[in-house]
Parts: sequence; structure tokens; C-alpha cells
Amino acid sequence: MKRIRALFLMPSAVLLGVFFAVPLIIIASYSLLTRGPYGGVAQPWTMENYLRLADPLYFTILLRSLVWAVAATLICIVMGVPLALFISRTGKRRNLYLALIVIPFWTSFLVRTYAWMFLLRDTGLINSGLLWLGVIQEPLPLLYNAFAVMLGLVTGYLPFLVLPVYATLERIDKSLVEAAADLGSRPLSTMFRVVIPLAMPGIRAGGVLVFVSCLGAYLTPDLMGGGKTIMIGNLIQNQFTSSRDWPFGAALSLLMMVAVTLMLLPVLRRKEEGLS
Amino acid sequence: MNRRVFLLGLPGMAGCYRPGLRRLNVLNWTDYVAPETIPDFEREFQVRLRYGTFESAEEMLSRVMSGNSGWDVVFPSNSFVEPMRGMGLLAKLDHSRLKNLHRLEKRFQRPPWDPEMEFVVPYMWGATGIIYQSLLPSAITSWADLWDARLAGKITMLDDPAEVIGACLKKLHLPLNSGDARELELSRNEAKAQKPLLRAYVNDTVRDQLVAGEVMASQAWRPTAVRAMHSAGDKLRFVYPKEGYAIYADNAAILRESQRKELAHSFIDYLCRPAVAARIAEVQFSSTVNEDAQALAPKNVLLYPDAETLSRGEWFAPLSLESQRIRDRIWTEIKAA
Repeated sequence: MKRIRALFLMPSAVLLGVFFAVPLIIIASYSLLTRGPYGGVAQPWTMENYLRLADPLYFTILLRSLVWAVAATLICIVMGVPLALFISRTGKRRNLYLALIVIPFWTSFLVRTYAWMFLLRDTGLINSGLLWLGVIQEPLPLLYNAFAVMLGLVTGYLPFLVLPVYATLERIDKSLVEAAADLGSRPLSTMFRVVIPLAMPGIRAGGVLVFVSCLGAYLTPDLMGGGKTIMIGNLIQNQFTSSRDWPFGAALSLLMMVAVTLMLLPVLRRKEEGLS
Repeated sequence: MNRRVFLLGLPGMAGCYRPGLRRLNVLNWTDYVAPETIPDFEREFQVRLRYGTFESAEEMLSRVMSGNSGWDVVFPSNSFVEPMRGMGLLAKLDHSRLKNLHRLEKRFQRPPWDPEMEFVVPYMWGATGIIYQSLLPSAITSWADLWDARLAGKITMLDDPAEVIGACLKKLHLPLNSGDARELELSRNEAKAQKPLLRAYVNDTVRDQLVAGEVMASQAWRPTAVRAMHSAGDKLRFVYPKEGYAIYADNAAILRESQRKELAHSFIDYLCRPAVAARIAEVQFSSTVNEDAQALAPKNVLLYPDAETLSRGEWFAPLSLESQRIRDRIWTEIKAA
């Protein structure tokens, strides 16, 4: 039995070992090397890349990215939980709605972002529509600002929240809801005291997925924000492209990983308690 | 690094076992040949050409840096020639196999980045200038005009540190490739002062917005500008700013790792034929360095400006480590402002 188990675990062990652990080790060692004269990395080993992180400029950017990611996650939760509830209670058409949630994923993230840009432009569908109806006289500034970045993040990652929440709601024993009603609980009170607490594992899992994705986002701030804001993802990207400073980019990546892990530790630990 | 080298090499190997035809692997910028350029070459030389594209010189460099990438011919920008030579990536060219070199403009027969054309043959050149709506009450002539508060919210700059910092330096009449901390600080202050007026930092996608009239004035690469003008007609104008501007050239080069150097030379020589170069320049709205091709291509004063305008252009050059680091810090600061 043990041998069979090992056999079936082999592919994922090899996959994770080769494509996750090894790159991580490479990143860690690059972060301790010196930038090569033409990009790449070179000897000697140094702590300098980490000392550069002490610059308040980089701290500000990390902090700002965290705030953005938390805000996007909260908006996703506020919008996604009711949506998941609705879908879990629609009986027959459930699969249709789930398909509608998943369909955007069939196109690439980049294409979806460009689609949003076409909608939000001054001469885009929304502005020309409102102008034609006479609702506005001047095009609204919908693109290239904080609103657009947030919109891009939320619409991009909302399904990551809806699907896990839906999965936990599906598994809730309906009799618990009925019992609450029998004991005199009003629907709203049942929702907040029974259903949502039971759905917490899904909300946490979905929240973590959205948070991590938003924190690493770099396309959305560049394209929807018009490159006027910089998030940690853009900063890292710049190190590997225009600045060709791989060691500093590697150090920044590790800093982000550590920050994310520290932030998620309480969430993940609570989840274990919840399951036990 | 070895694993990466191995994985990067795989796509190259995949095609090697097709019997019969010889192969050549060419890695070029997107939008840099005419539709018939490659098929015609394949037919004439009885080869199969694998044609890959890249979007930025950095991307190209990272793809061939291993020295075992599977590509034969690449197209580095002028400021990447020296680094790539330094890394030992480029093969020496055999001029006896390049019969068409004498057709290049004189100034490109001795390019500053490789005066003897030992490693690269210039291909196309470009410039960064300003494109603007002709309906503006006063014509835009200088970088300083992009700091005009009356155009607030209707200006864009390129999303590229060398270009934005370069434009700020030029506005201050300082050298484009400055590595001086004080000069770079001054240019940072210019960029930070300009940022509140900007609609966005954006590259190619500005084209539609210019054509649609959403943007009044943009720092733009000339090919983007010429394409926008092609769709919008007289609505748009392009100017080479009076304080000076950046120019760049892309070059054909053969990688040292190439096992098909003879064929690679034939390909480069083929690109230097006047008819071939003229057709590419025409389709891609770019300026060929090939004088005989210029005679065949449609006349366009924008693509081939007069000597006075040309004299204001300054070539991008490779930056020192120290200056690149200062520039990265400054760029991050501008973006975070």
C-alpha cells in the first residue's frame, strides 16, 4: 500500500520539486549575488541587495501594494459571497451561472484587460453611450486612474473567490438552516450567524487566492492605471527588464514572499482550527 | 543555469529532424519584415526559416544570453551591441559574404556602436519625438511644450525609463545618456513636475487614442506615430523636438553559437538588397539605412528628415552599472510619486 501511495505521489513530488523548489533556490541564491556587468548575475556573494531594501521608497511601494490588495480582496468578498449564495440557491440554472463565471477565464487576462480599456476609454462604449443619451456632456475619466486599477483587479479575480465560496456553501447541511428558522431565527440573522460562519473556510481560501494574485499584479496597474502607479509587481518586473538588475529583483521577490507569508499565517492557522 | 539552457534549446531541436530542407532560425522584432520577405527567401535559398519575434531588446537578450538558444540571426538595438559583444554572444561577420554592404548610407557604414561593422549590419533606424493633434492652437515644437498646463490630462509619455528620463534631460539641454547623479536628479524633478499633467505612461496603445482624438500630444516612437498618421491623415503631426531627441537603430547580427553561419550571412545580405529593404520599409513605415532602398521606397520627409533635423538626434548608448542603478531608483520614484 505504501509503495502504491509513493508511486502516485511521484509525479506531483517531481513536478513541485523541479519547478517550484529549484526555482525558489535559484531566486534565493541570485538575491545574494552581484549584478553582472551586462545583466545576469556574477560573483561575489553579497548582502547588498537586501540592504538596498531599507530604502523607504521601496517600503512605501510594498505598503501601498498591500493596501490595494487588501482593498480588492474585501470588495471581492462583499460582492462575491452574495453571488455565490445566489448561485447555490438557484436550483436548475446553477450550472449555467457557474459557466458564466468561468467563461471569462477562457480568454487570456491580457485580452480581458484590453477589452476593459475599450469600454472605459473617452471614446469607449460607456462614455459614447452616456454622451449620446445626453447624461454627460464631457467624457468621464474612467480609464488611467485608481478606479480603473481597482476595477481591473476586482473583475479579474472575483471568480477566484466565488468558486471556493460556492463549493463550501454547497456542502452546508440545509437542515441546519431549517433548524435555525425553527428556533425562531430571522433569515438575516440565520445568514450572519449560521450560513456565513459555515462558509468561512471557503471565504478564507478564496480571499487568500484573490489577495495573493492582486499583490503580484503588474499588468493591471500598467494598462488600466496608465503606468502612473507602481505596485510591487511592477517594481520587480522592472528589475528583470529595463534595469536588468536580477539580484535586486530576486531580493524584492523574496521580500514579497516573506511579507505575504507573514500576513497569511494567522489566516491559515485559523483555518486549521476550523477544520479540526 | 544549465537547466534553463537545456529547456530553452528544446524548441530549436524540435525542428531539426525534418529531412531535406536546410534550416535557419531568425529572432526579430515584431512588425519588422514584409509579408513576402520570409517566403521569398525560403524559396530562393531552399531553406525552412523559423521566425521568432520579441517585443523588447531586453527580452531578446534574455532569450539568447545562454549562448545555447538555438537562434542564428538576431536584431539587437544599437545600445545592446556592445553588451552582447562583451558577453561573447556575437559572431564576427565575413564581409566577403555580404555583397550589399556598400548600399548602406555612408553614416551607417561606420556606425558609432561598431565602426567597422565587425559584428552587426545596421537594418532600420528610428527616433523618439512628439505626435500631436494639428487642431492645437499653437504647434508643438519642443519637449517643453509637453509641460504645458493647458494640455493637462491630454498628454502621454512613453512607459520607458530611458525615454522619459531622456526627454527630461533633453528638455534641460543635457546629454541623453547622462550618468551624472546631479543631472539625473534634475531630470527626475522635471518628470515629477510633469506627472500631474499626464494622462498616462503608455507605449504603442496610444495610437488609437491619438486617432480617436482622446490625446492631444504624446511622446512617441516614430513607427507608432507614422502608423497613427497613416490612419488619421492630416489630423496628426509629428515633430522632432528642437532641444534634441533620441535616435536608435536595429542591427542584424549572427550569434556565435550559430551552426549555420553561411546561411545566416546569406539572409543578412538578402535583407540588404534594395528591393527587399525598400519593401520592408514601405510596409512597416520605418526608415531603412539602405540608401539604394530609400530611392525605391515612397518619399517621406518624416522618415528621412533633412540634415539639420538629423543633427539634433542623439544615439542611445549603453549605460554604466552605476548610472543604470541611479536611473532605476529615479524611475521608481517618478512612478511612486
